[in-house]
Amino acid sequence: MRMSLAQRVLLTWLFTLLFLIMLVLKLDEKANWSWFLIFIPVWIFDTILLVMLIVKMAGRCKSGYDPRNGLQNLKKKVWYLLAMLLKLAFCLALCAKLEQFPKMKLAFVFVPLWALLLGALGHLGWTVFHDRRD
Amino acid sequence: MLFSSRELVQWLGFATFEMFLHLGALLVFSVLVVVKVDLPEQDLSWWGVFGPLFAADGLSTYFTTIVSIRLYQEGEKRLAVLRLIWIITVLSLKFVFEMLLCRKLVQQSSELWYGLIISPLFILLQFLMIRACRVN
Repeated sequence: MRMSLAQRVLLTWLFTLLFLIMLVLKLDEKANWSWFLIFIPVWIFDTILLVMLIVKMAGRCKSGYDPRNGLQNLKKKVWYLLAMLLKLAFCLALCAKLEQFPKMKLAFVFVPLWALLLGALGHLGWTVFHDRRD
Repeated sequence: MLFSSRELVQWLGFATFEMFLHLGALLVFSVLVVVKVDLPEQDLSWWGVFGPLFAADGLSTYFTTIVSIRLYQEGEKRLAVLRLIWIITVLSLKFVFEMLLCRKLVQQSSELWYGLIISPLFILLQFLMIRACRVN
């Protein structure tokens, strides 16, 4: 099952909008909720992405799977999974710092984000190089 | 992940190089935020912290202007104007958001509430939704 571009955009748009609304309510002190509750749209969105990714990866194990470009695709999927986990780790660490550990160094929170951004830059650079070579 | 880089280029209207530039700026910005918060003795101002984001906006505007001029000279007038208008709109909204957030962090004034600061992002989200319908 592959979602169309419009469906994927709608999904992203909806969860981003919900998160921004909840963030504004919290920052303007209109809602006295925990930071973990404010991040609920992020948790739901990440769970949907993770499930979709795992289902796609599990599809490789089916008997009728065409193994052409298999290694390349597997590498890409592993990177996506790693990126999702890094994003999740960053959000969890940020919530933990804001909620319970105000004295924790911000550098510890940002380490997963830096790894994610460096990976994304590398991936983007590789895509540009690969496309140009093709 | 959810979108391929080709779909992102189509949807956001930015070239891959520009996305690379903005991601790089975000990385440097996040490092400077950590320096500002964890090492207060460094005496780094919030304007300095936001510097990489402003620089990326400026470079992106310059790059878009050059591309649009080239497109115009090659006879793709409609495409050149549409691209320029779209990118300038997106970058302006991003810049206004960054500017307001930076002012809030510098002054800590209660007049500037977060709903107002994030409003450019709400407008940007609506534009992105409309563009997604057109691209699709």
